Amino acid sequence: MDELIYKLKQEIIEALNLEDMTPEDIDENASLFGEGLGLDSIDALELIVLMEKNYGIKLQDPNQGKEIFKSVKVMAEFIQQNRTK
Amino acid sequence: MMILHRVYISPDKVIVNGKALELTEKGSALLTQIYRSHIGNYPKFFKMDTLCKLGFVASELLLNAEGNRNFEPREDRAVILFNRSASLQADTNYQSTIQDSENFFPSPAAFVYTLPNIVTGEIAIRNKYFGETSFIVIEENDEKLIEQNLSVAFQDTDTKSIIGGWLDCTDEENFEANIFLMEK
Amino acid sequence: MGGRNMIVSIANNITSPLGMTTAENYAAVKAGKSALKRYEGHWGLPEAFVASLIDRSNFTDTRYTIVEQVVIHSVTKALESANIDTASPRVLFIFSTTKGNVFLLDKREKGFPQERVRLGIMARLIASHFHNPNEPIVVSNACISGVCAQIEAMRHLESGNYDYVIVSGVDIQSAFIVSGFQSFKALSPEECKPFDANRHGLNLGDAAATIIYTRKDTVSENEWCAYRGAIRNDANHISGPSRTGEGSYRALKHVLGDIDTQIIAFVNAHGTATPYNDEMESIAIDRAGLANIPVNSLKGYYGHTMGAAGILETIISMQAIDDNNILATRGFDTLGVSREINVTNQNQPTEKTAFIKLLSGFGGCNAALLMTKGGLL
Repeated sequence: MDELIYKLKQEIIEALNLEDMTPEDIDENASLFGEGLGLDSIDALELIVLMEKNYGIKLQDPNQGKEIFKSVKVMAEFIQQNRTK
Repeated sequence: MMILHRVYISPDKVIVNGKALELTEKGSALLTQIYRSHIGNYPKFFKMDTLCKLGFVASELLLNAEGNRNFEPREDRAVILFNRSASLQADTNYQSTIQDSENFFPSPAAFVYTLPNIVTGEIAIRNKYFGETSFIVIEENDEKLIEQNLSVAFQDTDTKSIIGGWLDCTDEENFEANIFLMEK
Repeated sequence: MGGRNMIVSIANNITSPLGMTTAENYAAVKAGKSALKRYEGHWGLPEAFVASLIDRSNFTDTRYTIVEQVVIHSVTKALESANIDTASPRVLFIFSTTKGNVFLLDKREKGFPQERVRLGIMARLIASHFHNPNEPIVVSNACISGVCAQIEAMRHLESGNYDYVIVSGVDIQSAFIVSGFQSFKALSPEECKPFDANRHGLNLGDAAATIIYTRKDTVSENEWCAYRGAIRNDANHISGPSRTGEGSYRALKHVLGDIDTQIIAFVNAHGTATPYNDEMESIAIDRAGLANIPVNSLKGYYGHTMGAAGILETIISMQAIDDNNILATRGFDTLGVSREINVTNQNQPTEKTAFIKLLSGFGGCNAALLMTKGGLL
């Protein structure tokens, strides 16, 4: 799990161009949106693409993202349960 | 019409009001160097496409030259930019996410920049400008034609000043900004 | 009119899946028709979509791309009822498009030089088709381009730079545009439902639309004037509309000035049927004191025709008032926005002779245009 969390942090930094951040800067329990990482609605859509591209998970309803993208940890748990690649 | 300040940026040159800035990098790295040395504290910069990065740093240098930046909301300043290539660099980048049917993952973060006027929005957001924003594409960088189009924009009675001029980018390493702040 | 020049529409055309002339288009819309259709596996896209597409096989001139042919058709038709010489330096072409020939970026596309993807090259080609000597300009302001191009025309005529401006807007859908909107989760899986409680996004559409404007110092009661336009930014977010409808409200406020809002027959809204756009517009319309004025959207007939929308929807609205009619909002049933605005669900009679065209787009931009018939104001 820790390995997946670290990899996911790297993928998020790359996909969302969080240039000045390292995986160590991201608290796995902190909120991805609003206060935490401060991501916005386009970032949320890009994370949906990331999950499909890297883990074969297709989210049909973008509203599902609200639960899944609560934190990197929640996202990693969802990926572990649902990944097809 | 009076031009108050002017900023020129090419892949190897940055000139503010006739004075060259001492910078070492070139191309896309130059834009990042301007951001780090003269602006900073706006991480959204790294998400932008090249046209927005160029417009963002150029407008920041322009407004720093104007001075007295207070970021108070205002409606009396327009942002009206011109170029030849529209959003070509962003278009090419987005196309690469859909080109291969075996590896077809359309990127929303790339798609959002496939409109040239996004840069005018980025400048408006940064500076809380509620005024007119517009983007016009013309095939030649013709200063007379640009001035003609800017002078008529003052027919909007709320518009007292304009950030205007040329802002073109064909790919990440090739771009040119020649923008200015003008008053009626 | 106290010496103020009036900017008058002298001819127009709509070329769309609903018809090749303005009259055909208006008759179809009045009858409640739409060309919205579900496309599966179209252009090799993995996901189905609903759109209003022009039959490409009607356009067979191999010198021009489909985009260029549709514009040339629209301008040619508009010119048929205008007695002007497009070879004159007193005539300017202003185009409005968001994506032009963007489909040429696809490596599988052959047959046209890649430089045609440049909007200025496309514009020059069309202007020279009509032997026009001036450098054409292309307004590319996302979804508000069509109104911006008309405002640009008004300004050039008012300043005396030109005597006639031909304003033509176009966008033709492609895998590029459709997949992008799909990645935004912005497309409705069914025909769109503007302002409705069950709206699930927008549909895209093909069209070109043209208006020819000139300057006059007196106008007759049957002539249409572009009275006042405004463009304002939300200064909020590059893709999400403002929660307070800031830019749209400010654009409305500017075009209303101190006129009596009771002269306005309707507001022809953007009404894309995305949850956020329609909600935002309801706030802007309410804040501008227009909650009681009928509001309609034409997206249920045409889908979102992007660069053509502002021009096409202005023409249909002029036609409706010429017919003493306020058009129904096709697809609308139950109000699904937070402000109690007056969205039309059926055609209804009107004697009023002014309307407002409202648009919003990515980049936080918004535009409003007040059109009046005759020297009313």
